[in-house]
Amino acid sequence: MDKILDVRNLQISFKTFFGEVEAVRNISFSVGKSETVAIVGESGCGKSVTANSIMRLLPMPPAFYKGGEIIFNGENLLEKTEKEMEKIRGNQISMVFQDPMTSLNPTMKIGNQIVEGLKKHKNLSSKEAKEIAVEMLNLVAVPQPQKRINQYPHEFSGGMRQRVMIALAMACNPQLLIADEPTTALDVTVQAEILDLMKNIQNKFNMSIILITHDLGVVADMSDRVIVMYAGQILEEGTTDEIFKDPKHPYTQRLLASVPRLDMKKGEPLYSIEGTPPDLYIPPKGCPFYDRCDKAMKICKECMPEITWHSKTHYSRTWLNHPMAHGRGEN
Amino acid sequence: MEKALISARNIKKYFNVGEDILKAVDGISFDIYPGETLGLVGESGCGKSTAGRTIIRLYEPTDGELIFNGKNIYGLSRKEMREIRKDFQMIFQDPYASLNPRMTVEDIVAEPLDIHKTYKNDVDRRNRVIELLELVGLNEEHALRFPHEFSGGQRQRIGIARALALNPKFIVCDEPISALDVSIQAQVVNLLKDLQDKLGLTYLFIAHDLSMVRYISDRVGVMYLGHMMELAPSEELYDNPLHPYTKALLSAIPIPDPDVQRNRKRIKMEGDVPSPINPKPGCRFVERCSIGKDICRKETPVFRQIKENHFVACHFVQ
Repeated sequence: MDKILDVRNLQISFKTFFGEVEAVRNISFSVGKSETVAIVGESGCGKSVTANSIMRLLPMPPAFYKGGEIIFNGENLLEKTEKEMEKIRGNQISMVFQDPMTSLNPTMKIGNQIVEGLKKHKNLSSKEAKEIAVEMLNLVAVPQPQKRINQYPHEFSGGMRQRVMIALAMACNPQLLIADEPTTALDVTVQAEILDLMKNIQNKFNMSIILITHDLGVVADMSDRVIVMYAGQILEEGTTDEIFKDPKHPYTQRLLASVPRLDMKKGEPLYSIEGTPPDLYIPPKGCPFYDRCDKAMKICKECMPEITWHSKTHYSRTWLNHPMAHGRGEN
Repeated sequence: MEKALISARNIKKYFNVGEDILKAVDGISFDIYPGETLGLVGESGCGKSTAGRTIIRLYEPTDGELIFNGKNIYGLSRKEMREIRKDFQMIFQDPYASLNPRMTVEDIVAEPLDIHKTYKNDVDRRNRVIELLELVGLNEEHALRFPHEFSGGQRQRIGIARALALNPKFIVCDEPISALDVSIQAQVVNLLKDLQDKLGLTYLFIAHDLSMVRYISDRVGVMYLGHMMELAPSEELYDNPLHPYTKALLSAIPIPDPDVQRNRKRIKMEGDVPSPINPKPGCRFVERCSIGKDICRKETPVFRQIKENHFVACHFVQ
């Protein structure tokens, strides 16, 4: 498959008063054309930092790129000037944020917010841009788009605002959409509608999506491949089926077991992972999940596990799958 | 059948908003039995949190009765109310906002003890605090720290310790886990279940996460715009939902299993939740209902028992 985005050995840190926080620690992944890749993990695992770093939206300082490359269509985004980035943002790569109320401008009419990007990137006249804005609102199923483009964000409900956000992100027909927890602030019924909408738009425009979420149900619904992040590192990556049916890393296994399922039998115990993720001021030398892992071995504390490939698309980073662990990695 | 610990009868809570009336909770009735967990679910704005707060009289009710141990607590004076409050406690959603950042954990947990003067001396107070902290999986060391030194899950444990301080019989848990990470949610839910077994607590568990509610609750009530739509034992409600709203709501929840999720059919609902300000008479759900007819617009369906322990408010459910 053609790669549209290739992240290689990316390292991002934040300088703070207390020292350096290593938020993203040497991660590599790629996104293919019209593919949906989900990044899952708990708060603080670095998934949003990764997303924002692709768009070069991190405030610098305190953030800085310690190393790595972000290759988008053959070009390294980290070498672009701010001017060049402006041409890519909203045009070739767009983003949908978690909270549609804070990410839309409350003092601007919805229509103008969509038109703004179109005029900047596509050199359209106001009239043409406005026509496209109406078309986009129509596409995301906002009723009465002619009337709605003249309204302000506060006149929309939460679900409608998120539709507007998607229309805004889609207006310039980007190749890659980064959706950072796009449905976390919404009710389940609205969430289902927004996810359906994103799938439809993706099919229509052959767009790639990076979906950032902590909701494993949403992942199962949307994604082709899954990346599991923990404490700034990728612990496992595979196709959605591989991750859900045959998780290899204890963290992935425990995470899946700690979510109650609607089709679960009564009385089945809910697994809980004791403890909390490690402090990234002093990142652990070995596996970051060591403290909370019930299968931990001595070596896990000392060295970060190497990558073990389970199939062409599936790898994990755990010593349990090493030949010397004598099959302790099996469930 | 066992006697109910709490019987809510036709509870209403209206708010005045300018010249209009916002009917947040509009006549809900249910019983909660000793030692059980009643889950309350619904979308945002459906009145589930208002219901929780009105039940323990944090909001003055507009109408209705709440019978607790044979007494209608809505008729009690301030002084009597204060005495009976010992039996009701609440755990809040946001563990960052519900703990005073300028108080130590010891003072936070001991505040209910201070108010009701349940200890003889400082040693007594401190011992009780330590006992409570240990009960929720914290320890003595934590007593002299401040809330900002704790993670979200630990803060929620402090909130739980405070709620347990006076040995309550009944606890309203208002979205106690929705601000927490997945792996921490399971910790807190398992703690709540253990405490229930150990101390014989009764919970009203309010949440919008239906899978978690199903897991923790014995019975579940579904609310929509201030009305109770359906109430049934949790297995029954999830296996055999009768109300069209419950069906649509359940079908919208993504299941973390790609095979199951790919083959599910979702029941679509039209439009958004209407405003609870000056609602129209009739069934609240009619505008978005797939089987709504004229009668639904005219008459509010009666909340009635269809099968044993299964209550529904819909004209078309037989």
